[in-house]
Amino acid sequence: MIIQRNYSPSALPKGTDVAELTSRIIGPLTLLIERSGIDQDNALGLRVHLDWIQYKTCFRDPVVVRRAVDQQEQPLPLSEIAIDLRQAATPKFEEYLTAAVESLKGIPASNGQDPFVLDTFKPWRESIIWPFNRLFWQQLGDWEAYAKRGFEAALPSGGSDANHPDAVKEGVVEFWELLHDLDKRGQLPHDIYAMEIGVGSGARARLWLDQFQTFDTEKGTGYYPRLKFLLGDYSPSTLDTALAAVGPHAPLCSVIPIDATNPFKVLSFLRFKILFVHLTNVYDNLTFDEIARRDNQLYIVEVRPYVSAANAEKIQAEFGFDRAQLPGAIKRLLAYGPESVGEHEKGMAFWTRIWDVLRLEERLRAIDEGDDSHLPKGVSRSPLDDVLSEVPHDIRFHLSRGAAESFVNTAALLHPRGYLQVQDIFVTSIKDYVHGFRGPGKLDGSFVTWVNGAFLHAVGARAGYHVNFAPFTHRKGSKTQVLYTKRRD
Amino acid sequence: MASQLPPLPTTVIGSYSMPAWLERAKNDFLQRKVSRHDLDEMYDAGRKAAIKDQETAGIDIISDGELHRDNMIDYFAERIPGVLIDHGSKRLYYDFYDSVVRSKLATGSLGLLEEVRFLKKFSQRPSKISVSGPHALVKRIRNAFYPSEEAFALDLARVMNFEVRELVREGATHIQIDEPYYSGFPEDLPWAIKAVNALVDGVSAHVTLHICYGNRYGKPSFEGTYRYLFPQVLEANVQALSLEFARRGEDDLQLFKEFKVPFTLAMGVVDVKTNDVEPAGLIADRIRRALGVIPAERLMINPDCGLVHLPRDIAFNKLSAMAEGARMVREGLK
Repeated sequence: MIIQRNYSPSALPKGTDVAELTSRIIGPLTLLIERSGIDQDNALGLRVHLDWIQYKTCFRDPVVVRRAVDQQEQPLPLSEIAIDLRQAATPKFEEYLTAAVESLKGIPASNGQDPFVLDTFKPWRESIIWPFNRLFWQQLGDWEAYAKRGFEAALPSGGSDANHPDAVKEGVVEFWELLHDLDKRGQLPHDIYAMEIGVGSGARARLWLDQFQTFDTEKGTGYYPRLKFLLGDYSPSTLDTALAAVGPHAPLCSVIPIDATNPFKVLSFLRFKILFVHLTNVYDNLTFDEIARRDNQLYIVEVRPYVSAANAEKIQAEFGFDRAQLPGAIKRLLAYGPESVGEHEKGMAFWTRIWDVLRLEERLRAIDEGDDSHLPKGVSRSPLDDVLSEVPHDIRFHLSRGAAESFVNTAALLHPRGYLQVQDIFVTSIKDYVHGFRGPGKLDGSFVTWVNGAFLHAVGARAGYHVNFAPFTHRKGSKTQVLYTKRRD
Repeated sequence: MASQLPPLPTTVIGSYSMPAWLERAKNDFLQRKVSRHDLDEMYDAGRKAAIKDQETAGIDIISDGELHRDNMIDYFAERIPGVLIDHGSKRLYYDFYDSVVRSKLATGSLGLLEEVRFLKKFSQRPSKISVSGPHALVKRIRNAFYPSEEAFALDLARVMNFEVRELVREGATHIQIDEPYYSGFPEDLPWAIKAVNALVDGVSAHVTLHICYGNRYGKPSFEGTYRYLFPQVLEANVQALSLEFARRGEDDLQLFKEFKVPFTLAMGVVDVKTNDVEPAGLIADRIRRALGVIPAERLMINPDCGLVHLPRDIAFNKLSAMAEGARMVREGLK
């Protein structure tokens, strides 16, 4: 048995006696394993991962079992038990532990009730969380009304770092300085293009435009009237809201329905023309995968959605389905929205309930060295190789596909002196993945995942950019980092 | 121009598509995972393939693809006697080394003759050798000795002139001077042109001065118009000016008329910063528009810049389309 501690004690809440907690778990677990009759080879190779999952809600039960399979889905002699220490105090923790050990032998749950499995194993990028995520953003208003609070209130800080006036002012001054420098050299284009991707309510864009106009007026440089400000979002209704929010600046603004992973697709006519692109909390909600390395073999993490038997029963009783109808109801919910399940209130209740109890079983599927299908589109294997050359042999990390694609397809629009700024939660050193769980966790009806900044750094280097990160300093305790690009010479 | 060339001869700027396997080998070489000998063998294979691709695509004046060059600066910085290189200063081959000059440059061989010999050995076609210009080198090699950038550039030109003359003695007929930084530093033009003239002094070959807007990582380094070049560039002792028009549009063609430019125009008709392959008809249209300003006998056809950042199939298809576009226009000249 190999015990792996995946957290840094310093990151845990004050007063956590993690040594005591761990010993309370490892003792019974060892007994369970020793007495379970598990094959000795399997017992010797069994990895026990101790995690501390910060999210209040996530997709994992307190104890889960992960198995490894080869590319043809045949079992490999590698199994893992992952334990969330944060949930160790849960009343049924020992039951979870027992069930996990029994399942290593292929024995069904001791109460005879197997989880209700909703789909097959798939990589994260193709998993069920994406239709849930899409539904949430499409029907955000309904969710907020039902939950009786705005989405931003669900953020750990109770608000977004996007709209901090001092941060916006700092960005405005930086941008003005770039324009001024180009102007001095006679290289300032007549049309000054700037863009906000994931514009949301439009509050940040409004603030930015207000401050830019004021600063430009103070300086008397006349850049503001030359500004072409692009408001980008994938939702047309969001864009309508954002356009209304920018108020008097609307004549300078264009709304662009945009896929954040590929802005170039609709804006190719602005290739090498945009001087500034900003995104806040967009990358953390784009597609990702997880890669694990165990004994020098790479695996992609695949997940399979399930609802525990007990929860499935409760939902069936509450909403009047029988067991066979449940998958169809979920399918309808994701395809057509809550009203497809019943009248609005019932549909909303079903949606929030299912999301609340949804869990994902994980397995590790070996990656064929010659298979590049897990790589983001437009990104070669080299950045991943760069990252892997720096990490410990045993590690699990995000392959932030959507963020990498977005980066590459946004950089293609940048003017030679243009730059990209992204406010988000980044893991800036790949080694930090061994120090804590980085998501995904549930956030209202959506989810949030840390973004692999180290991978973006490597992607940027191959695309001609230095990618640097700086902490967001305008709010104490903020976990936000700001990604800055600078052209590599 | 050599007499065996057709009207509107096609050529390349120099670099050809860099295979991913060769990039990996170059990076591995920097980390001492690949030997010099093995890397040289890979270079030879890559260069032969680049030559073959250009010939097959129908290019009239070819290069060796420059696959053995890390980038346009380091290849020369490493060869110029007196430039000090910190060999530990880069991990990725395409990055620039930290390089510095702390004393007067010595005169010596730069080892470029091998390129001429290689091309003669593996192709019967007319060929071109590209040389990074003094201005570009001055902008990247730190000067800790000369009193000014101009003095540094002129001395670089002196050293390089010796080598370029040797290239011609070895049989090189087409020499190209690459100056991608003019567009970012137009104020340098007076001394930069002086340095080019020092570099080509006594060089009896067809000399092209290539001035683009940069192509680092397949992106431009600057934007603007070529108007800043005129009239100073007319003082350059070269036969041809190579300028990019495919990506930027053809507005600046009028400058040739306005300033009665005596040079041949080596016209960029293929955008090297996109993977979209322009149809031959579009390329032919671009050439025809140039013919409205410049006579056919003073027009050469090439991509905007090197093809190093394009995938091999794209680079090949772009060259094929370019050759076909030129052929279509030639038909109309008969």
